[in-house]
Amino acid sequence: MNSLLRFIVKYQFLLLFLALEIFSLWLLSNHTYYQKSKIENVARSVSGYANSKINSAQSYFNLSETNRVLSQENLELRKQVATLSAKTEALYEMMGDTITDSLYLFKPAKVVNNSVNKQYNYLTLNKGSNHGVETEMGVVTNNGIIGIVIGVSPNYSTVISLLNVDLKISAKLKKSNHFGSLFWEGNSYQHITLGDIPQHVPIGIGDTIVTSEFSSIFPENIPIGVISSFSSKGSNFHTIKVKLFKDFKQLYNVWIVTNKQKQEKERLETLKDVG
Amino acid sequence: MGKSIIRYAIWFVILILLQLVVFNNLQLSGYINPYIYVMFILILPYEISGWLLLIIGFLTGLTVDTFMNTFGMHSSATLLMAFLRPYVLTLFTDREDINPKGSPSMGINGFVWFLKYSIALIFMHHLSLFFIESFTFTNFFHTLWRVILSTLITTIFILIGQLLTVKK
Repeated sequence: MNSLLRFIVKYQFLLLFLALEIFSLWLLSNHTYYQKSKIENVARSVSGYANSKINSAQSYFNLSETNRVLSQENLELRKQVATLSAKTEALYEMMGDTITDSLYLFKPAKVVNNSVNKQYNYLTLNKGSNHGVETEMGVVTNNGIIGIVIGVSPNYSTVISLLNVDLKISAKLKKSNHFGSLFWEGNSYQHITLGDIPQHVPIGIGDTIVTSEFSSIFPENIPIGVISSFSSKGSNFHTIKVKLFKDFKQLYNVWIVTNKQKQEKERLETLKDVG
Repeated sequence: MGKSIIRYAIWFVILILLQLVVFNNLQLSGYINPYIYVMFILILPYEISGWLLLIIGFLTGLTVDTFMNTFGMHSSATLLMAFLRPYVLTLFTDREDINPKGSPSMGINGFVWFLKYSIALIFMHHLSLFFIESFTFTNFFHTLWRVILSTLITTIFILIGQLLTVKK
């Protein structure tokens, strides 16, 4: 007993330390709930931070895979859009055309083949004789004319493009109603030439060119483009360069336009010629 | 004697308040948590008896624990620091340097001595504290890095505190 007391007195410092340390550890373990949740929080925030850093680094290496997946997804969506738009098209046709006046009928069509880099460019549309398309119908978009149908199969039609050196279309200056003929020189797919405008007609860069009412193919006043430059060397007529509104490389949705009174008009005109 | 008790009590209150109000909110980059309240253990007088030193150390830690809801963490760490204090003192000090009536301070013992003395004890305190806090050795070097950085910052703050309270 005595020796025990002596031991305690001798090592009182160490023993008190140990006793208090054990007590505080007991406190700690008694509150492991705090400790645990605290540790979990710390661990979560540390690992979350690390993970976000690692993720952002990894995402760079995964970019090609991500691109592939996204393009795959795009393809799927595009297929869906194609199916749905075919359905809406069918509905439109059932409804008939309610927007335009009765002189012209518009049919929606899609460009399935197109070129802009040749001298004689043609387009193919996904509507044919089954859909009531005939030759010599016009093809337009909301901001420009595209060409004229020259051949029809049951489900497709061939269109001579405005970008074809063989095609000439009647057009006029919107401002003054002077008309001339529109043709392509075969250079830039964004520019077309307007000829036969007399020298005395005042024109300026930026004037708008629209279709004229003399054509039995196109409705009048469809905007085509704006004057980008003109010259008048050695002739009685201006040579006017017109910048097209429509980018022919981006053609997709077009309208096939029919003049319901075209035959009547042409018959009358031939009668007059004969007479 | 009574006067010095009051002085230490004021120190105690100031340090605990500073720790709770200012330094607990100071989490520099998430790594560094300075615990400046341990300065109270550093500046206790030389002649304090062993059991009182241990109890003061334990109670200081327990006070901080109570306010921070971390039962046992700070008390065990501060207790360890109080336990080690006499050994560190004898390790760094020659007998004749000690004025048994005084207490360790930068003004009396010099900058280098106080730096060694405080870094050793603060490091031990932070080492035990941070490892008890993380309760695991899995992120050993991460925790050790926190210990080292926090030790440095705590030491800097305590040295600044010493500079401000040195009597000219």
